[in-house]
Amino acid sequence: MADAITEQFSAPLTFNWTLSYRCNFSCSHCYSRDEAAEELSTEEIKRIVDVLVTQQVPFINFGGGEPLIRDDLLEITRYASDQGLNVSMNSNGWLLNQATAEELKAAGFKSVGISIDSATGASHDDFRNMPGSFEKATAALDALHQAGIKTTMSSVISRINFQDFRSLLDLARQHHVAQIYLHNFKCSGRGFKNREDLDLTPEEWKEFYVEALQVKNDTDDLLISFDDPVIASLPGYQEESLVKGSSCGKLSLHLRPNGDITPCGFIPLVVGNILTDDFEDLWYNSPVLNGMRHKEAKGKCQGCGSYQDCLGGCTARAFATTGDLSEPDPHCWK
Amino acid sequence: MAVLLRNPDIVWRREKRREEQVLQELEEGGDVEDRGTVILLISGMMHQLNLLGGMIWDLCDGSRDQEQIVDNLLEEFDVEREIISADVTDFVADLLKRGWLIYG
Repeated sequence: MADAITEQFSAPLTFNWTLSYRCNFSCSHCYSRDEAAEELSTEEIKRIVDVLVTQQVPFINFGGGEPLIRDDLLEITRYASDQGLNVSMNSNGWLLNQATAEELKAAGFKSVGISIDSATGASHDDFRNMPGSFEKATAALDALHQAGIKTTMSSVISRINFQDFRSLLDLARQHHVAQIYLHNFKCSGRGFKNREDLDLTPEEWKEFYVEALQVKNDTDDLLISFDDPVIASLPGYQEESLVKGSSCGKLSLHLRPNGDITPCGFIPLVVGNILTDDFEDLWYNSPVLNGMRHKEAKGKCQGCGSYQDCLGGCTARAFATTGDLSEPDPHCWK
Repeated sequence: MAVLLRNPDIVWRREKRREEQVLQELEEGGDVEDRGTVILLISGMMHQLNLLGGMIWDLCDGSRDQEQIVDNLLEEFDVEREIISADVTDFVADLLKRGWLIYG
């Protein structure tokens, strides 16, 4: 099936790769903490890297689970970076001391992101159910900076931090972070179970984005990124992205620990397995991926003047709450 | 003359399937000037190079100077050296100015 995405892109630009669902933390919003999947051997993982190299996928980002749980993370990263892949990861920072940071640098990591949800230590620790985790996370940022690795900070916006997001920016500056991601809240896994306590109302999301976008426009010493397609429906929003709507299934795909491919980590629809299926066939012909690329306006999206910009917002959130990829994003304020 | 090198900070990819389509269109006499075959990712933005630009970009691997790149292209295209040479000069000057190419 020919379409604008596959006519343009012969493969995704990024694979978000969950090497393991194992984690030393138990966070309130985690999409994957209650997931389980068989993990692959180092050699099988290297075979996947070979596939990604053949398909010319330029970026891989290890997530999880905690990537540093895998003893072979450095070996895998070295294997991938030696073949030209740009490797990054997101970590909670608990297992990352100065020696580890130096090893990550030597292995070829281009950047490492640390998750921090509040600039207040007690609040972060409580959210992450891990006393001492704030101190470890900020120390990890410092160690990475000292080792010469570009750092990013990932903060999931929720009720605990949306009114105080500027303090997260200040924290990032204090620890020499190059880019902060203010992630939108996903209703997956524990995020779905704890949605009532953690998620904002659509109106609160709108207020947050209006304010945060203004701050972003006024900031030149720190890159501030959002990854929320619903933002495109804000009046006057002009930032250009590579694709309209969710980038999942268009610019990025997700790998589960057993090699299964899903459009993103938050959509549990397996489109195939990278080790046993023909990747190009999946990329061009998967009904799930093509469904994400050709959403049809449903519900209040029908006739909405913003639909051509947001394409219904976050497909993962729509699917999690309705079971339908094309339903409107529940965060939409329109 | 110094060899030309792609800026190593730029992530790029040849879109092979698209390139095949463009080559076929070219063979059939189509105008492929505006059809991108190589994508460059620079500071979160995507840029595209057309068939000739993509070929020049591909050849800028630090092993050839500008004249050698022209030599290589003449093996692919049946046109006068002066024409290809002028295109390469313009393209290289533009990308050097942008910092996307550097002298090795």
